[in-house]
Amino acid sequence: MAFPSGSLGYWLRRRLGMSEVRREKFVLAMKRLNEILDAVIHHRMGGIGLGILSFFVTLAIIAPFLPIPAPQYSFTDGQGRYLATVDPSWEHPFGTDQNGRDILSRVIWGSRISLVVGLMASVIAAVLGTLVGLISGYWGGWRDEVLMRVNDILLSLPWLALLIVLAQILGGTLSLNVIILTIGLTSWNFTARVVRAQVLSVRERVFVERAKASGASSLSILRKHIFPNVFPLVFANTILTVAVAILSESTLAFLGKVDITNLSWGVVLEDAFGSSAAINGHWAWIIMPGLALVFVILGFSLLGYALDEILNPKLRER
Amino acid sequence: MSEIQRVILRRLRNAMITIFGIITLNFFLINVMGNPLDLISRAPNVSPDIRKNTCIRLGLCDQDGNALDLLTRFVNYIQNFFTGNMGTSFNWKDTPVVDVIIPALGWTLLLIGTSTVITIIIGMVLGAISAQQRGKPFDIAATGFSLFFYGMPFFWLALMMQLGFTKQEFGLNWWPVFPSGQQYDFTIPVFNWGNIDHVMNALYHIVLPAATLSLGTVAGVSLVMRNSLIDAMTEDYVVTARAKGLPERLILRRHVLPNGLPPMVTLIALDMAFIFGGAYQVEYVFSYRGIGWVTIEAINAFDFPVLQFVVVLGGIAVVVANFVADLILLKIDPRIKVA
Repeated sequence: MAFPSGSLGYWLRRRLGMSEVRREKFVLAMKRLNEILDAVIHHRMGGIGLGILSFFVTLAIIAPFLPIPAPQYSFTDGQGRYLATVDPSWEHPFGTDQNGRDILSRVIWGSRISLVVGLMASVIAAVLGTLVGLISGYWGGWRDEVLMRVNDILLSLPWLALLIVLAQILGGTLSLNVIILTIGLTSWNFTARVVRAQVLSVRERVFVERAKASGASSLSILRKHIFPNVFPLVFANTILTVAVAILSESTLAFLGKVDITNLSWGVVLEDAFGSSAAINGHWAWIIMPGLALVFVILGFSLLGYALDEILNPKLRER
Repeated sequence: MSEIQRVILRRLRNAMITIFGIITLNFFLINVMGNPLDLISRAPNVSPDIRKNTCIRLGLCDQDGNALDLLTRFVNYIQNFFTGNMGTSFNWKDTPVVDVIIPALGWTLLLIGTSTVITIIIGMVLGAISAQQRGKPFDIAATGFSLFFYGMPFFWLALMMQLGFTKQEFGLNWWPVFPSGQQYDFTIPVFNWGNIDHVMNALYHIVLPAATLSLGTVAGVSLVMRNSLIDAMTEDYVVTARAKGLPERLILRRHVLPNGLPPMVTLIALDMAFIFGGAYQVEYVFSYRGIGWVTIEAINAFDFPVLQFVVVLGGIAVVVANFVADLILLKIDPRIKVA
């Protein structure tokens, strides 16, 4: 397949200068990727999700170039007092918080931490979940029993308490890395279940039998035959996990369990709650960061469901 | 022994293993959080005598005042756990843990119970109508509404409720103003039916928290209800039933509901953990002194005995709920046929 000159695929292929076999595989992969992207855009839910996410990702990237005050800058009046909890105006479209900081700017900058934590934590969760799912699905037996019991235990423990306790163990004041690690370590179980179920069905297929008969090692069967068949599902699930991870981060932040220099939407809402913004009627302070949160979570959920429907062979047949 | 008994026994064994795992993991997790002894001895101006006595009283030292190691404490913990001795709270002036938890548990059960009943009824009705009106405006509106609320953080929903239903310029001032925080006496036990003032007061204070929790959980129920009913409605045997002229009501009762409802049982059981998590946040925002509020207090105060008991209690509740759901499924799901 030829890429139109000037397209990303064309440029990459020219740059990489790959061998014939590799090029062939690469072209196939790009073709599949294009197909999936096409399907997502034409899928109503997926298209909306992708649109919402593009908006917020763009906002997060261009935050430093926007004409907004720095998120940590406190506005003061003539006498050096904070311009605290100012109502929305042209100067401060969402008002200011208890330290006279511009809330619009804090919401825009907050998207960075929220998105980064969500993405990184779900990558950790995806790797862990895939490993657990592959091992317990492929080998079965006692490994399966042990891993599934661990899974049950993690699913049954109240997740919020578990999250807070784990966070407390991994470090007193929670730095970014600790938050990411904590959330990653507590959200792999759903991926593990999905992968395990898929491995159980792939394992019985003819091409795996054939590979076994020709003497391939378990590791190479897992890598060459099982993993490629499981990967699309892992991908769709990871997108769904991002939504959960962002939710977890904001909850931790809201409960005051993270280092407040990691400005996220949860931190903005914690400030609002701490200053009794609801009872005092500072509506923009509560509504804006919350709406951003809800829409990003909605975006990842929609995209995840769309991908699941497109990539999951069970759903596709319907 | 019949096959069905064997299945039940295996589930029971798994539930037992899970509960034991929860108890063990819980102890180690919480004790790795930091040695409570360090926290006690960090306090200035404490005489060695007092320190020693405190240490013994809290079960962290033996009778001679030597610190016990983690393993010995674990063995003691397991022993005490199964003899019903949960220890005393570090934080609440030496109240036995049970006396801290039980009143809070009453309030939480009231909150979760009220909102779960509302959620199940509204969610199932909403899902059923959506399934029946598939693709029509009602379905699209209800599904959009559900998706929007599905991923909403409970704490934000709670803040929005406070914003909307309290007395300030943005709130609905013509509406009966609902309290947004604790203004009632929590020392009165929750189920005190004789005292009519207390009952009315409690009901009045539970409106907003319960409404928040219901709004946050109704979306999951209605979406699953809709999808599982649609799955059941598009099966071939339903088409056959319709073709042979069965009345719609009979089709619904004989063919659609028996196959569409079992997933709901599993979902509601699985949702238990989720509802607990939601209740924590709602209780925190509304200063509602239930289990969640106590847990967050306990975490902030390193109150290990309370924390241990709360987490185990929540875990066991979820395991039991799942086990019961499995039993119900075995009973009602026509697809699970065990000879």
